[in-house]
Amino acid sequence: MHRIAPTVLTAFLLAAALAAAVRAQAPGEQALAEPRRAVEAPGEFQFARLAYSANSYGRGRGWGWGRRQMWQTDWPDAEHHFVKGVGRLTRVDAATDGHVLTALDANIFDYPWIYAVEVGYWQLSDAEAAQLREYLLRGGFLVVDDFHGTFEWAGFMASLERIFPDRPVVDIPAGHEVFHAVYDLDQRIQIPSRMFIYSGVTWERDGYTPHWRGIFDDNGRLMVAINFNMDIGDAWEHADWPDYPENMTALAYRFGVNYLIYTMTH
Amino acid sequence: MFEALFRYPRSTFERGEIVFTAGWPEWLVPLLAVLGVAIIVSFLVRSRKRAASRQLLIIGVLQTALLALLLWVLRLPALETEKLREGENAVALLLDTSASMRYGTERARIDDARRGLEMVVAGDGLDLKLRRYEFDQLPRPVDAWSAGDPSGTETSIAATVGRVLDESRFEPLAAIVLASDGADTAGGISEAELAEIASYGVPVHTIGAGREIMPEDLELSDVQVPDRALAGSIVAARLRIRHDSGGTARVRVHAGDRLLAAQNVELDAGNGTTVAWLDIELFERGPQELEFTLEAVDGEQEQRNNRRSALVDVQDEDYRILYFEGEPRWEYKFLRRAIDGDEGLQLVSLLRVSPNKYYRQGIESADELADGFPSTREELFAYDALIIGSVEAALLTAEQQRMLADFVAERGGSLLFTGGLHGLGNGGWGQSLLADALPARLPPLESPSFFRRRATVRPTPQGLATRMLRLAESADDNLEAWRGLPEVADYQLIGDLKPAARTLLVGDNGIDEFPLFVNQPYGRGQSYLLATAGTWRWQMSLPAEDQRHETFWRQLLRSLVASSPQPSRLTATGLPGGGIALRAEFRDASFAPLDEVRVAAVVSRADGASWSVPLAMSDAERGVYTGELDPGESGTYYAEAVAAREDSAVASARSSLHLDVGQAEHFGIRRNATTLMRLAEATGGQYLAEPSPGQLVDALRYSGSGITDLEYRPLWNLPAVLLLLLMIKSAEWLLRRRWSTI
Repeated sequence: MHRIAPTVLTAFLLAAALAAAVRAQAPGEQALAEPRRAVEAPGEFQFARLAYSANSYGRGRGWGWGRRQMWQTDWPDAEHHFVKGVGRLTRVDAATDGHVLTALDANIFDYPWIYAVEVGYWQLSDAEAAQLREYLLRGGFLVVDDFHGTFEWAGFMASLERIFPDRPVVDIPAGHEVFHAVYDLDQRIQIPSRMFIYSGVTWERDGYTPHWRGIFDDNGRLMVAINFNMDIGDAWEHADWPDYPENMTALAYRFGVNYLIYTMTH
Repeated sequence: MFEALFRYPRSTFERGEIVFTAGWPEWLVPLLAVLGVAIIVSFLVRSRKRAASRQLLIIGVLQTALLALLLWVLRLPALETEKLREGENAVALLLDTSASMRYGTERARIDDARRGLEMVVAGDGLDLKLRRYEFDQLPRPVDAWSAGDPSGTETSIAATVGRVLDESRFEPLAAIVLASDGADTAGGISEAELAEIASYGVPVHTIGAGREIMPEDLELSDVQVPDRALAGSIVAARLRIRHDSGGTARVRVHAGDRLLAAQNVELDAGNGTTVAWLDIELFERGPQELEFTLEAVDGEQEQRNNRRSALVDVQDEDYRILYFEGEPRWEYKFLRRAIDGDEGLQLVSLLRVSPNKYYRQGIESADELADGFPSTREELFAYDALIIGSVEAALLTAEQQRMLADFVAERGGSLLFTGGLHGLGNGGWGQSLLADALPARLPPLESPSFFRRRATVRPTPQGLATRMLRLAESADDNLEAWRGLPEVADYQLIGDLKPAARTLLVGDNGIDEFPLFVNQPYGRGQSYLLATAGTWRWQMSLPAEDQRHETFWRQLLRSLVASSPQPSRLTATGLPGGGIALRAEFRDASFAPLDEVRVAAVVSRADGASWSVPLAMSDAERGVYTGELDPGESGTYYAEAVAAREDSAVASARSSLHLDVGQAEHFGIRRNATTLMRLAEATGGQYLAEPSPGQLVDALRYSGSGITDLEYRPLWNLPAVLLLLLMIKSAEWLLRRRWSTI
């Protein structure tokens, strides 16, 4: 008893501090009401990646000190390669370095584009979901990528429904502007991860068919682009790997550029 | 005092001329002067041993002055004046009988005017024929003043005086005496009219009627609203309220039975006129008659001047704005989003996505902008306003740059440049063919001027006053709304402002303050520079429901198009006499004036009455056709002008107005002393604020107009002359006694 009491007390205090911290950052309260300095960006477009807490199934990749969180998948090579492609293929003034943010980072509102991978394992708190909802309603754009099959879809939806409990996820029609903003992307080809090189299959788990899905705002504008059963991030990341199919990388660049130009115009 | 010393009034001296009646030959005066001076000098020489030089000099001066005065008196000076010949001249008495002369607290101002007219010309020995006229629009000769209430619907003082002068050309007219409250409702007396009246040489004396200060009366002197507006938009009405006391006035605006707006206006006690702005949201399309009403104050006698009507044509068609952007960027996205759903504004955009690809949005057909930025005037001038973003000037040909300048100067459109990596100075616009049109001398291309740094945005006093930058209704809320805006994170320096430029927003990076939003008129249009591409931060940094970013852009873009003229325009204006003036301006698609056309207008009233009015080509302006109509009744009138060439219509324009015939007399009911004073001063007459008996008798007798005889009044025996003689001689005598030189 003599040794347990301080432990319980410490745990209680830590929990209270954590709750206070989360509450302090809840959208619509202090975190949003307080004046915030604008972020001076190194370019008009800076690739922002969402850092999130994973659920119990998302243990990350690798082992020991090299172990990486799920959100770190493909980081930083994917965006490093992609933004160079953006600079080369468009007139977007793109910053060469990406930026990582959590959903509760107040500076998220300075990055109207944000990208998240392995979202089959993301686990958003109520505060994070609320802030992402606010971010998207103000005009932010979220691209999610690299999750496959029924199980990961369920994991993805568990948190997505906390962001938008009342907005449906729908398949983006083939004629939608996002597939034609720069490139006319009429074919729906599954863009595989690098495992394709070893296995020869483009699908993972039971995600045999790629789906381009999305969530739209009240004015019919796409605000969440969902790359399901595909891995565009891997195609960006391995653009410099000779064994990875060049046509897949090129297609992934085109999807990325279309997403970017779409969100910079809608 | 003046008459005690000089015997005659000052005005007699002003009118007369001094002459000498002794009949001396011309050589006699110099001879006598020389002799007198010689005697004085001789006397002084003989006295030089008894007095000092200074003393001799003073005595010499006094004696010379005495000599001069004596010579002047001996020549028998007289004042030559023109005196009316008895029984042969007339005086015109003009009495204002317009409806405004009915006002008065104890008695009507017309009663004071009648009494004043008879009073000021009544005097002994003044034998003049009195011609009496009553007037409102024009004079009517009367034998005796009418006893009824004054009821004229319009007062035209200039036309009345001119007509009386004209009709009296063959009758000697000594003067005109006009009694009025000075409320000339026919548009006032112009300088040209005043000069023409003065050229007759007949003095016009004016008698003021009514009070200049009326604390118990509020008057809605003027209401100005835009001729046309977009459906669902807010228009700003400018009200001018005349008052002689402070306090609060409540204004209401109705369209039919529907209350559109109500607002309290603080009246500035130290100023007789208060200008107020009132925002009115217009939903219904088509011509809307807005009724403005000032709530009456306690004891207000005349409430007809508390109401005014104005007509706004709420437009069906959309305004089209072309936005040319040189790089994909967030400002483009959020600007488009801001005006999404704003009915009436259509943003057509051309975005350079990559060096070889343009992305078009908001286009009406597949052909629109298919070849890039417009290359013909017709194509470019079809837009009502232009936005140029982060685009290099070199991307446009010289002809396209000239077209842009002409778009502002000739077409009368608005042009907005926004800052950016490739925009403004960085884009070489300072050295472009458009440079003259811009409100600033942009930094040269080789001097980078765009910075991705934080800056706060603050409106200037001019910016706070302009409708386009109003984020909230009240001034305090508006200021608060601007103060609460987040920073932008980029800005661009725009160099020195040109003399006609006005700064509406400034940026502050914590070290320097710099102009961020400026504009200037250029030709028929306006050019604007918004030296940032960072207003999107306002949208992303404020809660989703906050509308300040949307409001900023919607109002800005609406302001850009509001002043954009259409190629065909018809303006219908109410004339002071109750008529309608029509002015049609026709231009072709490239905004070149349409000259070789026949133009006719059809004017109709709600009750079915209609008129056909041919419009004549203006000598002064190309493409402009004018005409007038006098329907004679109050009401709402709709006009359509059609320009035809060889029996086929080539252009048409519509307009409407609400005409209030006869209401003018209930506005401007205070005595307008300025008008009466101007008339009197210009003609050599007198303005009598408070007339008294016989006040004009002397002025009339010596008016100099009409048939006159010369009259000579002796001046040698003026008390002032005798007094001066005595003073000079006494001074000499006293000095010589003191110096013991006698």
